[in-house]
Amino acid sequence: MTRTLRKVALPIGVVALGLVLLLAFAPTREAVLAFLNGAFGGRNNFNLYSTLSRFAILLGVAMSVLVSFRAGLLNIGAEGQLVLGGLTAAMIGVYLPAPPLVVTVSALLGAMVVAALWAMLAGLIERATNVPLLIGSLLLNYPAVYLASYFVSHPFRDVNSGATQSFRILREAGLPRFTGTILDYGIVLIGITALVVIVLERTSVFGYRVRMQGYSVGFARASGFPTRRLYYRTLMISGAIAGMTGFVAVFGMNQRFIDGMLTAPLYAWTGIAAVLMAAIIPWVTPITAFFFAALATGAIGMERSVGIPREVGQIIQAIIVLYLSGVAGKMLSGRDGKGR
Amino acid sequence: MEGRPTVGARVKQNETSTPAVCRLSGISKAFGATQALQDVSFEVRKGEFLALIGENGAGKSTTMGILFGLLDPDAGTVEIAGRPQAMRSARDAIAAGLGMVHQHFMLYPDLTVLENIIVGQEDTGRGGRIPLATHRARATEILRDFDFALDLDRKVADLPVDARQQVEIVKLLYRGASVVILDEPTAVLTPQESIALYRMLARLQAQGTSIVLITHKLDEVMDNADRILVMRRGKLVAERATAETNTAELAELMVGDRIEVVEKHSAAGADVVLSVANLTVQRQQGKPALRDVNFEVHAGEVFGIAGVSGNGQKELVNALVGLEGAQGAVRFAGRDILPLDVAARRALGLGYMAEDRMAMGLAQAGSVAENLIAGREGKSAFSTRGFLTKSRIRKFSRDLIDRFDIRTPSDRQTVAKLSGGNQQKIVVARELSARPQLLVVENPCWGVDVGAITFIHKQILELAATGCAVVLVSSDLEELFALSDRVGVLCDGALNAIFPRDGLDAIAVGAAMTGGREGVPA
Amino acid sequence: MFFDSALMDSIPRLFTPVLLAAIGSALCERVNVFNIALEGMMLIGAFFAVVGTYYTGNALAGLGVAMVAGALSGLVFAYFGVTRGGDHIIVSIGFNVLAIGLTAFLLGQIFGVSGQFDDPRIVQLPRIDLGPVADIPLLGDFLSGQSILVWFAVIMVFVVHWFLKNHKYGLRLRAAGQNDAAMRTVGVSPEALKTSALITCGTLCAMGGAQLSISNVTLYTDGMSAGRGWIALVIVMMCNARLLWVLPTALLFGLVDAFGFRMQGLGLPQQLTESVPYVLAIVVLMLVFRNRRARLAR
Repeated sequence: MTRTLRKVALPIGVVALGLVLLLAFAPTREAVLAFLNGAFGGRNNFNLYSTLSRFAILLGVAMSVLVSFRAGLLNIGAEGQLVLGGLTAAMIGVYLPAPPLVVTVSALLGAMVVAALWAMLAGLIERATNVPLLIGSLLLNYPAVYLASYFVSHPFRDVNSGATQSFRILREAGLPRFTGTILDYGIVLIGITALVVIVLERTSVFGYRVRMQGYSVGFARASGFPTRRLYYRTLMISGAIAGMTGFVAVFGMNQRFIDGMLTAPLYAWTGIAAVLMAAIIPWVTPITAFFFAALATGAIGMERSVGIPREVGQIIQAIIVLYLSGVAGKMLSGRDGKGR
Repeated sequence: MEGRPTVGARVKQNETSTPAVCRLSGISKAFGATQALQDVSFEVRKGEFLALIGENGAGKSTTMGILFGLLDPDAGTVEIAGRPQAMRSARDAIAAGLGMVHQHFMLYPDLTVLENIIVGQEDTGRGGRIPLATHRARATEILRDFDFALDLDRKVADLPVDARQQVEIVKLLYRGASVVILDEPTAVLTPQESIALYRMLARLQAQGTSIVLITHKLDEVMDNADRILVMRRGKLVAERATAETNTAELAELMVGDRIEVVEKHSAAGADVVLSVANLTVQRQQGKPALRDVNFEVHAGEVFGIAGVSGNGQKELVNALVGLEGAQGAVRFAGRDILPLDVAARRALGLGYMAEDRMAMGLAQAGSVAENLIAGREGKSAFSTRGFLTKSRIRKFSRDLIDRFDIRTPSDRQTVAKLSGGNQQKIVVARELSARPQLLVVENPCWGVDVGAITFIHKQILELAATGCAVVLVSSDLEELFALSDRVGVLCDGALNAIFPRDGLDAIAVGAAMTGGREGVPA
Repeated sequence: MFFDSALMDSIPRLFTPVLLAAIGSALCERVNVFNIALEGMMLIGAFFAVVGTYYTGNALAGLGVAMVAGALSGLVFAYFGVTRGGDHIIVSIGFNVLAIGLTAFLLGQIFGVSGQFDDPRIVQLPRIDLGPVADIPLLGDFLSGQSILVWFAVIMVFVVHWFLKNHKYGLRLRAAGQNDAAMRTVGVSPEALKTSALITCGTLCAMGGAQLSISNVTLYTDGMSAGRGWIALVIVMMCNARLLWVLPTALLFGLVDAFGFRMQGLGLPQQLTESVPYVLAIVVLMLVFRNRRARLAR
């Protein structure tokens, strides 16, 4: 425990610094209250629930990133995997003529499978042609995002609405909400997933091997771990979690796929930031993901009440990542040089 | 130009009349608790060929590090041409006319030979443009004067090793070095290339350059040096003029009245445990890294592999362990294991202690316990239905920490925080506790303190006594001689000779390492 | 007709931002700095070019402001990635997010708008008319009437190429990435070389951004670099940082971009044409890297 605490001491220090910065931007009591209200308050705790909604998505993305990073795989394609998961879920949700439960379950599975395959594609490209995973996974984001955008602005656009978005999914198939709130049960699904990842990483043989491989590929090979299989499995799990998160975003709050809903809030990059701030330690990641979710909604609250722009949240997030680049970089072992 | 007709048939100079170009006085240096150097004093005279010999860890490299400004001495002074000189960095040393050819070349692979020579002293004129033509002319002149056959426009990456070494030397000459220090220069060279190197050094010497050679190869020293300094355990123990000594005396001076640290009782039995037949490893280009290697190792036998590094040792180990593909046959536990992966070979009873502790032997960021169970994490001893059984792992780790005397605050300590010796003990504990039938060991004592060396050697011998066959690859002949029942010598990818324990002789093994076939034929 | 004057005119405009960023990236590659923050640096340049032009009414002054902002971006990267020794990938990720946040923040603070800023005071960079050349069909459209940055970028390829080969600091830049220990033994600071490469790279990327915002159009949109920084990176990877190869490769991508626009004109949806450069990048990378390995194996 103390070892872990020492590792996260600096991130925590930086968080404190970030909060100080935030307060420096917002010197008045009002601004602080506006931030807290924006993150946790509101009528009927509306803002708290919207923080939690955002937290659910961020946590999902962060867990997806975590699985890859823990294995030393620099998969930064979470954005594309998230979007393709969401798009697949939306297509199934709108067009599958089946009873609600079947629609929900197939959408979940479909989203996970498609995103997992998309993640694995980057891995196949690396293994077969030596194109670094970092570059392959990143470049694959663009076709995925553009494809989704095309789908909802042309062939599958909800022509009755003015926005570029898909039709609404089968109403009864959507994720139910906690009564009296805007928060849906997606957070439970993702919370359980996160818990499973955290527990398995520590207690299972698979988690042990993934962790060791992330520390050193050479060690994993010399110890006789099935390194190839671990590589693909980890990537697919990583992609599947991103896909599940895309499903939650579509079947939860929005009930449809809206163009840019998963990219504009920079979920993927924020998820990476959360994992880095947690020094790639699984149980710390939910805490940092929650911090970034609150930072974003709090900043929106501040903008609403006292006119401090919401982008301040993003800037603080970026500064945290920059300051962590030294510490977090050391955790990202198991790869050659600077990512090539 | 006054060349010399053949190696070793040179008129030795009169050493006392020539002035000293640099002098070290009373140099001491400690690393932590170990005294690396103690009161070392000597001088390098103009135009002489000085050899500094000693075993691994005798303090040769530390001495040169201090002379070259890479290390700060705790006490003592360095004088250049009679004046005390503070060597704060390699730059000072270069300015003082010292030049060093490091074992790891200080070259830029993607640049041409000429570019490598001039980086850092481009002598630019207006606007920073490099007068390439002038440089080329000067470099060509040096190449001609010293009779080097180098193409200035070739990329260094495309050059063979001996040519790269020449680039290093030309670079020093270009900077006007009057003392050229070479650290184990022939470790990477073939015998023919070594002869060529010494011819070239003789030409430098003939033109007034002083040569300092750091090595443990006595034959080369006898053939080429004028004067020999012997180091042992951080002290300068002897100085000899080459004409007045011989290899036997030098060997004795180097080794000293050594206490036999481990006592070897041969445990070799009759059963063949490992049988390697026609093992060949192809390289991506050029000739095979390992060709047609044949040997057998019996139960309880320690089979040593000697050789200049880079002669196929790595490939042999990788092929035995399963990290690299190979042709031929490796029979172990009743079957050819070449088609099997590492896990399957380990399951059959193979143990492997990798030379590279940082990246292969250990997961540095992992805990002691995590490192101790690696390779057996899936076994029922440590897991049930895919889940680790923490309590058993904990008990097992604490047990091994006691048994193998691993000095660590707890089994949860990060391995990177432990000393080299304790890290290696983790590797030893892990591999030996698996009770292997065949153990492949690579340089087990690199970067390990003396106390741990004895301990590790004892452990390996005790394991052999239980009937395990051991393949020991080492670049340290002393280690090989102390532990092995037989020693095979790899040279240029071929197993050149196999010596039985009672036929082990440094000279003969050394000759086999560099291509001679004076030993018992394989 | 497919190869018409509009298409020819658009190719140089489209490839210039990528080419400028690629030159900067090649410099970073030389000194072994893995800078994948080109995207953010271009965005900063695009934004500050608009700011500078808006307040001075002069596009060249706007370009100057962008260059200063770009140089500062390089300095920020160097502080975290070289001075503090941070992991270059993480520094890049942080910087890219910073660029997105900062430009959006300042867009609101300075102009009081969000998403996009458009104003008649934003004028275009000067263009170079080649007189009679302009009358040559197709080629005239290609060569004449292009912004000064187009010509600057092309000339820079050769200037930087010459510099790397013949200049003292060029040689050191090439050496720096390969053996830092050796550099230090001859008294050259690899850190200083890396920092200067990053500052140059930031400046060039910002100029590429300026080409986007005050030459190709005269407005600023959030995220208007739109992945061009990544394309530039991929081009440099494909060419192994050899500048004389970067030029034709960037031209190829400019051509693909121009075709994309043309296809849009023919009714193909924008989203599909815009994803073509990325798909092409992956495919070409696969072929190049595969061959590279095959060559090594031979």
